[in-house]
Amino acid sequence: MKRKLPLLIVLVTGIFGVLTYIIPHPVVQTTDSVIRNDILRIIGAFSLVLGIGSILRHHFIKIKRKSENWGYSWITVVALFVSAVIGLFGGIDPTRPGILPTHIGGFSFHIQSLFTGLIVPLGSTMFALLAFFMASASYRAFRARNFEATLLLISAFILMLGAMPLTRLLVKELPSFAEWILAVPNTAAKRGIGFGISLGILATSLKIILGIERGWLGGGE
Amino acid sequence: MAAQSGAKRHTFWEILQRIDRRWIYLVVWLVVMVPLIKPFPVKPVASPPVQQMFNYIDTMPEDKALLISVDYSPDTQAELHPMTIALLRHAFATRRRVGLVATYVYGLGLAEDALREVKREFDSVATSHEDSIISGEDFVFWGWTTPLLTMMLGMGEKITNVFPVDYYGARTESLPMTRHVKNYNDVGILVSIAGSSMPISWVAYAQTQFGLRIGCGTTAVSAADFYTYLNSGQFTGMLAGMRGAAEYEELVREKMAQMDMNWHVRNRGTEAMSSQTAAHIAIILFIIVGNIGYFATRRRKS
Repeated sequence: MKRKLPLLIVLVTGIFGVLTYIIPHPVVQTTDSVIRNDILRIIGAFSLVLGIGSILRHHFIKIKRKSENWGYSWITVVALFVSAVIGLFGGIDPTRPGILPTHIGGFSFHIQSLFTGLIVPLGSTMFALLAFFMASASYRAFRARNFEATLLLISAFILMLGAMPLTRLLVKELPSFAEWILAVPNTAAKRGIGFGISLGILATSLKIILGIERGWLGGGE
Repeated sequence: MAAQSGAKRHTFWEILQRIDRRWIYLVVWLVVMVPLIKPFPVKPVASPPVQQMFNYIDTMPEDKALLISVDYSPDTQAELHPMTIALLRHAFATRRRVGLVATYVYGLGLAEDALREVKREFDSVATSHEDSIISGEDFVFWGWTTPLLTMMLGMGEKITNVFPVDYYGARTESLPMTRHVKNYNDVGILVSIAGSSMPISWVAYAQTQFGLRIGCGTTAVSAADFYTYLNSGQFTGMLAGMRGAAEYEELVREKMAQMDMNWHVRNRGTEAMSSQTAAHIAIILFIIVGNIGYFATRRRKS
């Protein structure tokens, strides 16, 4: 029963999901609307509880066992609670205050201040590091070793040059040529890959709906 | 013997091949930072996908709203945030109603930041209530909800069902803009600004089911994935990377100048183009030097 019930739910909802696209009858459409607007949201709310519970459990176990880098787990747990409390009760910014005082003098720790002062610089810094790695990799690894690599190298050159406004002054047609590479050869290849991926998704979805693929159930037999 | 091998002299190209990566990092840092501090003039010229998006928004019926889906997080902010700001400027300058949603929680803070900046620009020169940008009248920031499918499909039926309150806690049914923007029928175009494949989800659910017109703003690295949708007409236009943002900013600047809105605004995409151009030149030089070194050392070995 523990395995059969989820499989049955997936079978029924999966087939029903397909039918809603081809049966315009009001009963089917209303049921679809209830599933999407109400039931899915309730499941979503449960998944939030599950997610928070899971992350807390994971980090409390790390702290308890003093696993590697367990100190960072404290940061995660404290950040989770502090941002939740400020987000729920502290208001968005000084112009829209909540029930908790969230500024000391000129220092504001509203949810928007936390976001712009902490999350934005941290996220931007992580992504900015890519520029250094890419430059280093382009110097060390981007070699014209064979025909395919040379083709890739030339395309990359044209696209990079085409992205520079200055090159328009030197070779007027270069940006258009770069655009053509993206719009024609690139699109042709992407379409082929896209068809392959879509057929794969279709096959996997059918296997899940029909209960052939059961990996999503977790665990093992 | 050890002394002999230790004394072995390396050629210039061999030394270049073994250069410490920290020197490369230093060069990258310099070519990015110097033009940011002292930019050289760059005049972006709109590419066809950017022009296409601008033209559509500029000429869409006045009663249709522009929807912006802020589908990116702070890591791609440098490339994508200028797009959101330029789109908001364009919409407010031409008095189009704007709706904003976020499909990621991180998008909330970014949308709020962009709205605040553009609202401040327009309000600082406003002389009357009509000139000001008012939440609920000129724009609605619906915020974020989950799950994605419910949001994308539900908004096609009735937006206030999906978002009973806006980001600031106001009842959406009571907002003046709700009288004009009830569902996708009242939307001219939805522009999904994303560092992920979210624009494709908008095509799959909002366009396929409701015929909603979709535009896309994406990072330069993801742009190649979206050209299929642009060619098929599923995307009305596309802003690709910093260059796309700068080109749109330039079009909006020209439009605002035509409308005598000549106040000074920061065009961050255009400002960063000189830095990006310098970085591209540096990377091209790195590749050339790296390859010359590679072939020179290979010939020596053979």
